[in-house]
Amino acid sequence: MVSVAGYYTTQFGELWEKSFSDLVKEALFGLLKSVQKIDKNEIDAIFFSNMLGGVLENNLHTPSKISELLGVNIPIFRIEAACASGGAAFHLAKKYIESGSAKTVIVLGAEKMTDYSPEETTSALISAASGEEQEAGLTFPGLYAMLANFYLQKYHYKEENLAYIAVKNHFHGSLNKKAHFRKRITVKNVLESPYIAFPLKVLDSSPISDGAAAVLLTSDNNILKKLTNKIEILASEVATDSISLARRKDLDSILATKIAAEKAFKTAALAPKEINVAELHDCFSIAEILAMEDLGFWEKGTGGKNILELPTMLGNSGDLVVNTSGGLKASGHPVGATGVKQIGEIYLQLTNQAEERQVKKAHYGLAHNVGGSGGTAVVTILGI
Amino acid sequence: MISPVKIWRRQKEIRRILGKKGQVITWTKILAAGAEFKIQAPYPVVLVQLDDGQKVFGQLVDYHQKDLKIGLKVISTLRKVRTGTREDIIVYGVKFKPIK
Repeated sequence: MVSVAGYYTTQFGELWEKSFSDLVKEALFGLLKSVQKIDKNEIDAIFFSNMLGGVLENNLHTPSKISELLGVNIPIFRIEAACASGGAAFHLAKKYIESGSAKTVIVLGAEKMTDYSPEETTSALISAASGEEQEAGLTFPGLYAMLANFYLQKYHYKEENLAYIAVKNHFHGSLNKKAHFRKRITVKNVLESPYIAFPLKVLDSSPISDGAAAVLLTSDNNILKKLTNKIEILASEVATDSISLARRKDLDSILATKIAAEKAFKTAALAPKEINVAELHDCFSIAEILAMEDLGFWEKGTGGKNILELPTMLGNSGDLVVNTSGGLKASGHPVGATGVKQIGEIYLQLTNQAEERQVKKAHYGLAHNVGGSGGTAVVTILGI
Repeated sequence: MISPVKIWRRQKEIRRILGKKGQVITWTKILAAGAEFKIQAPYPVVLVQLDDGQKVFGQLVDYHQKDLKIGLKVISTLRKVRTGTREDIIVYGVKFKPIK
């Protein structure tokens, strides 16, 4: 069994004073310092998650740059699966340990996005969509807006139904010191914010952020014996699907999420109702609604209605709390770091280190990371 | 720079889907566009199911606000998609217009 035995994240946000290397360095050394009883020479490999370094920053061959920063000569790999890069890197690191190639591995994710104009970053991000979608002038908000428009019409909901997701996640973000946005918002704020791609508005959308996060994975009993805060990886499953929405069978669900979730719940021998805390890929409000349904927490088509009571908000009556970090929406979305932060947040929750946003008696947690408009999905289940 | 070779390869595909009728499955209106499309924003983009079953993306042109709805009947047409610098070739592609 592979355990997660440490986590560190930088502040997420518009970090003008910090470079890509600064963020990577802070996450790596921050992780080693927070775990304390581990030396860098005990790390056997690093799996590095990053999407846009090559596109925006002309920064590739990052493994060798990480080797220089940390002063090690171990295998280091860069993994790219758009916004699911972090989840994919985590999955591969777990498999690497299970294969016997290593005992202790760091999964590191980082992204530097705010040095560029919004249209430059928008263009860079859409590289993760099909050529046909790019030539139609679509953007990522645009693709999710098409899913949102379809969903709202099919199940007779209004834009207001989506807004509650953002309200909940901003509330959680207000409790997370590392979050990009810590301001609470109202449904009215969301509805009055400007459209970026109809029917999605600025406050339905995750921001462009800088940040880095790292988790420590190990199966080494000598290390595990020394550490008190550790959780087990019960399942990590990856699924893919056609990149283009035009080649999908359904537009009211993400098939890759459904497949990965089904496999993950089977491997973990758990049912959705047994999950206490989850970090879901809420790049846009509609994405969390679809994820709640596709992961099996809610019936298909009921998400728009269910969210009105905010059952998944901390302090409310529901059995499952979703996106305590603030989600991508409020915690921020430094693409490569996001999937790693999601796992880190579940680690904090299950080891009772989540401070103000701690969910009581959390035994099982789930992280859901999506690439593009659903071309890749990773579902990870963790437990104590 | 816009690659003429890439455009040439794509033109062969575009020819097959011109002048075809279909129906809008879903749509959006882009207000925050990427660098190459910023000059055109805001613009609607539709996903259309053609009468022969295939699904195609394209911008909607020659439209009124009331046309922006799921189920709208449209026909594909050849239009300018984007331009680069003065030296670049002009990119043409598929867009859709409502059937009056």
